[in-house]
Amino acid sequence: MSALPLAFLSPWMLLALLALPALWLLLRVTPPRPRKVDFPPLRLLLDVVAKRETPVSTPWWLLLLRLAIAALVIFALAKPIWNLSEGATGSGPLLVVIDNGFGAAPDWSERLAAAEAAITTAGDGDRPVALAATADQPRDLGLSTASKALDRLRVLQPEPFTPDRASILPAIRKLLESAAGAEALWISDGLENGGGRAFAEGLKAALGDHRLVVRVDPTSSARGLAAAENQPAAMTAKALRAEASGPEPITVRASDLRGRPLGEAQARFETGAREAVASFDMPVELRNDVARLEVVGAKSAGAVQVLDQRSKRRSVGLVTGATSDVAQPLLSPTYYVARALKPFADVREARGQGPNQAVEAFIAEKLPAIVLADVGALTPETHDALAAWVRNGGVLIRFAGPRLAAAPEDDLSPVRLRQGGRILGGALAWETPQPLASFSPNGPFAPLAVPKDVTVSRQVLAEPDADLPDRVWATLGDGTPLVTGVREGKGLSALFHVTADTRWSNLPLSGAFVDMLRRIVDLAGSNPPARTESAANAPQPAQAAAMLSPTRTLDGFGAFRNPPPTARPAPAEGRPAATADNPPGFYGPLDAGVALNALAPDAVLARVDLSGLDVGTAPLAVSEPTSVAPWLLTLATIAAIADSLAVFILGGGMALLGRRRATTAGLLFAGGIGLAFALSAPAFAQTPPKDTFDERFALEATLSTRLAYVVTGDFEVDRLSKAGLEGLSQTLGERTALEPGAPMAVDPAKDELSFFPLLYWPVVDGQPTPTPATLARIDAYMKQGGAILFDTRDALTATPGAQNETLKRLLAGLDVPALEKAPPDHVLTKAFYLLNDFPGRYADSPLWVEALPPAEDGEERPARAGDGVSPVMITGADLAAAWAVGADGMPLLPTSGDERQREMAYRVGVNIVMYTLTGNYKADQVHVPALLERLGQ
Amino acid sequence: MAVRAEIVSPETSRVGVRHENAALDLAEALPRLVVAARRASATVAHGLHGRRRSGVGENFWQFRRFGQGDPVGRIDWRRSARDDHVYIREQEWEAAHTVWLWIDRSRGMSFQSSLAPVAKVERAVVLGLALGDLLVRGGERVGLLGLGRPTASRDAIEKLAQTLSHAGESNDHLPPPGSPIARRAEAVLIGDLLAPEADIAAAVGRLSGEGGRGHLIMIADPAEETFPFAGRTEFVDPDGSLRLVAGRAEDWRTGYAERLTRHRASVAEIARRHGWSFTIHRTDRPATEPLLAVHVRLQEAGA
Repeated sequence: MSALPLAFLSPWMLLALLALPALWLLLRVTPPRPRKVDFPPLRLLLDVVAKRETPVSTPWWLLLLRLAIAALVIFALAKPIWNLSEGATGSGPLLVVIDNGFGAAPDWSERLAAAEAAITTAGDGDRPVALAATADQPRDLGLSTASKALDRLRVLQPEPFTPDRASILPAIRKLLESAAGAEALWISDGLENGGGRAFAEGLKAALGDHRLVVRVDPTSSARGLAAAENQPAAMTAKALRAEASGPEPITVRASDLRGRPLGEAQARFETGAREAVASFDMPVELRNDVARLEVVGAKSAGAVQVLDQRSKRRSVGLVTGATSDVAQPLLSPTYYVARALKPFADVREARGQGPNQAVEAFIAEKLPAIVLADVGALTPETHDALAAWVRNGGVLIRFAGPRLAAAPEDDLSPVRLRQGGRILGGALAWETPQPLASFSPNGPFAPLAVPKDVTVSRQVLAEPDADLPDRVWATLGDGTPLVTGVREGKGLSALFHVTADTRWSNLPLSGAFVDMLRRIVDLAGSNPPARTESAANAPQPAQAAAMLSPTRTLDGFGAFRNPPPTARPAPAEGRPAATADNPPGFYGPLDAGVALNALAPDAVLARVDLSGLDVGTAPLAVSEPTSVAPWLLTLATIAAIADSLAVFILGGGMALLGRRRATTAGLLFAGGIGLAFALSAPAFAQTPPKDTFDERFALEATLSTRLAYVVTGDFEVDRLSKAGLEGLSQTLGERTALEPGAPMAVDPAKDELSFFPLLYWPVVDGQPTPTPATLARIDAYMKQGGAILFDTRDALTATPGAQNETLKRLLAGLDVPALEKAPPDHVLTKAFYLLNDFPGRYADSPLWVEALPPAEDGEERPARAGDGVSPVMITGADLAAAWAVGADGMPLLPTSGDERQREMAYRVGVNIVMYTLTGNYKADQVHVPALLERLGQ
Repeated sequence: MAVRAEIVSPETSRVGVRHENAALDLAEALPRLVVAARRASATVAHGLHGRRRSGVGENFWQFRRFGQGDPVGRIDWRRSARDDHVYIREQEWEAAHTVWLWIDRSRGMSFQSSLAPVAKVERAVVLGLALGDLLVRGGERVGLLGLGRPTASRDAIEKLAQTLSHAGESNDHLPPPGSPIARRAEAVLIGDLLAPEADIAAAVGRLSGEGGRGHLIMIADPAEETFPFAGRTEFVDPDGSLRLVAGRAEDWRTGYAERLTRHRASVAEIARRHGWSFTIHRTDRPATEPLLAVHVRLQEAGA
């Protein structure tokens, strides 16, 4: 491999570089364009005789630039390729071996890309390609075209187990024997696990002199997770890595069967360490729910541990019939049981309460297992509760003892104990204590080795019932049962025919005691598979029963999936590590099956050691071969542009620009002015948009009280509205204390309405219906005390009594109160002037206002007003037209009647404005004389 | 950085208010200029300052014995009453001197290189106006040669500027022949004086032939003096179609410098021959320098 990953597909083009010196000479003698300089004393200069007229040469840097352009183009024509992969340079067939065990999963796409690049380039060179995957089943390999190999490559998936690389070596040897001159590329996961070095040696031996390139990530490889254990204090798991590199934090996540995260634990690889222990400090109930541990972000089946029932810790209640004697713990009947249970279960001892209370308390706590050490009679209630608990899935473990032996028969024991003289010890004095002889093959102890050192000196005996042999789990040398047990309902009860302490036997001192208890406790809280029932009651061939079919397995990335068709049933005891036939995952029923993991509990990860082998190594993440030519051509173009600029500047272009600067500036200025006008033209034409709060508008509207009219868009109507309100404002200023400012035009859709006491709204046919947002604003304005005077301006033309369609449409979305014609006693008729009717430009148009509550009977009020101001007033009298005055103060339009009608229209306007400003004040004012009279003045 | 040299566009070099202001600023720094009396000829124009000899004026000059031919009306009876003689009261002669300015406004004067802050014409106008202002304040009359009558009014500088502005550019490198100049008036020629030596000699001879004395102020751009061009350069005469392509402009520098020195020497010789003064001013120098020089010259001419 060369130092630079750069190669040329047409190297002969580089010969053109030889032409560069010629170009250099050529460029040197070509003069640049002269600078043009104005020079007034030219006449003097003409008198000077120049010594020699050699053209100035092109500046050296310009020369260099031009040569660079030429060189770049030549290089581009030579088709340079960056990162030319191995396949392109060799010849002969190419064997691509790709690791697809769990170790390859984290960067699988990069591996695929590397393989694809190699195969593609090999295909470009018309080289036949063979593809082998180490985790696949061994089969014959054959050379094929690159495209077929690519098709195969694309269906490859990482497998969730450690590949057995040795298994495909024979096929590779066979292939290489037939394909002469083949080279090989091994895209390795970097792990020794699965025979990495041996495989490399075998491959190299098969290749002979031909090249073997190993693509391997030099610094990192997959992370692993192994030996998940539910220990008394915490759940632990070992995180593994193959490199003894620097410190590295790692996060392990625990989740339950449904994938819900239960917790995370931090672990840290110390410098040089390849193991880190992650410890979950969680309540045991939560830990029992953990079904899966994974290294966060590892994306590999090796970094996942699935946990089955065996990893669950159970709480075991311990009840003794003896009075607890804390002073001598070794004599306590529960001491040994508690010690034996501790490694795999949480022991709860009943303290300070009798057996009955303790049992009931444990049942209430829903403990999966209860140990009764020499507990004799229980109260009937407790007995019934305990029996029901067992049937519902509890595991009851009883130990014999003097009290049990003395107690009357209860049905909590798996076997009937012998009546009467069933107590051993006194009557039966054995010569020698009996050893433990065998475990029943059908019982839960079947896998255990029979300890030789257990001797029993006393025991309780079972009645030799017909079903006794089925219930015996362990027998003594003389054939009498030591442990009996039976399934009852979903639960289980077991009886040790000896005491829980060492008085009757040394079983509690034996290591087997722990295993036996564990076996029994493991049965707790699990829905028993059929085999357990049959194992307990109907013996079947052990082989058939011991296989569990896969339920959910992991794929190579560590995600659950349905078992692939290649997955086979696994033995019930499980396997230390997954294989191709038994991928990691759950086997058997989900809550009672076994779990298989990719890594055995004692597994370590190690890097493959390739030292001393004649192989080329290359990093995994090799980018694809890139053609450099486009970049070179781009560079050449840029350089050419720079050259043009340089020539321009050298030739006095800047001065040219400078001279034109004034003109350009003028043009720009004119353009800017034009643009400004173009932009501001719409602003002059229409009301500037007031999307946000317009402070200027607010100030203008509020610094003096102003009347306002709604812009209809009809120019003539708007002009009349403005002129009319101007006339009214003028009249108001002359006659009343109110001196309004100039009227304002408002757009209810944009402008804030709350500044105005009264809105004059001329109704124009074809006026667009306000949007819902506008309607909401108008509604809010009306509700908050504003008044709108709608003027339909159709008193002359409208059919009496008919509704104006446009007004109807406008008001459709508004919450308009009930209206009535302003009655003669309405305060509107008395707010300033005394009025009888409300003429505008047209007489005889009623003024509709909010209906007042009816006058109480008999009350004679000169004026009535509701609470507040009528939010809506509707007239058809075209008030604004009557009020409208021109700039000269003269009326703009004639009224339908005489000039007195105009005067009355002004008075109507004054009254309306006064009404909107003072509300019902005037109505109250009429009572002032009466009030004063009452006050005695 | 290569030296840029260009002809300023006529719009930018047009005479305007800024010239007046610059000229006023410049003139402020100097005392008012009174052209020496010796130069004052028999022009009868009325001036403000005394000529230290009797003549027409308002200030008392001396009493003189009444002589034959004196008009009787001029006898100062009050003085004559003191003794036996009859005296005539003489006033100091107050007359203004006329100075003709001429400013080269040809295209070539608009030349400005990046070495100089202003174009030559700019400097020439400012200099001329400042000189005019100084003279007017000193009570002299100032006129633009070939452009109207001389004036002594206080806003003379404005008038001069307006006149220049209206006149615009002209192609004359030297005062046109036939410009009216009164005898014994002074002429100040401001320009680049790059015209052929013979033309300059003719113009100066013509003016001095009419009795005038004068001053030549040669305005030069530093680029014209140092010739800071290098490389392949095309030189263009702003006035005409003359052009010259120099392959290596730096090779021309020495020859040009020699030629320029020779040209200046002959101009100086012309000035000396006619008793004129000759000042060379480079536009990268302050404008006060030539102004001061001419100021001194105009005054010392009378000393």
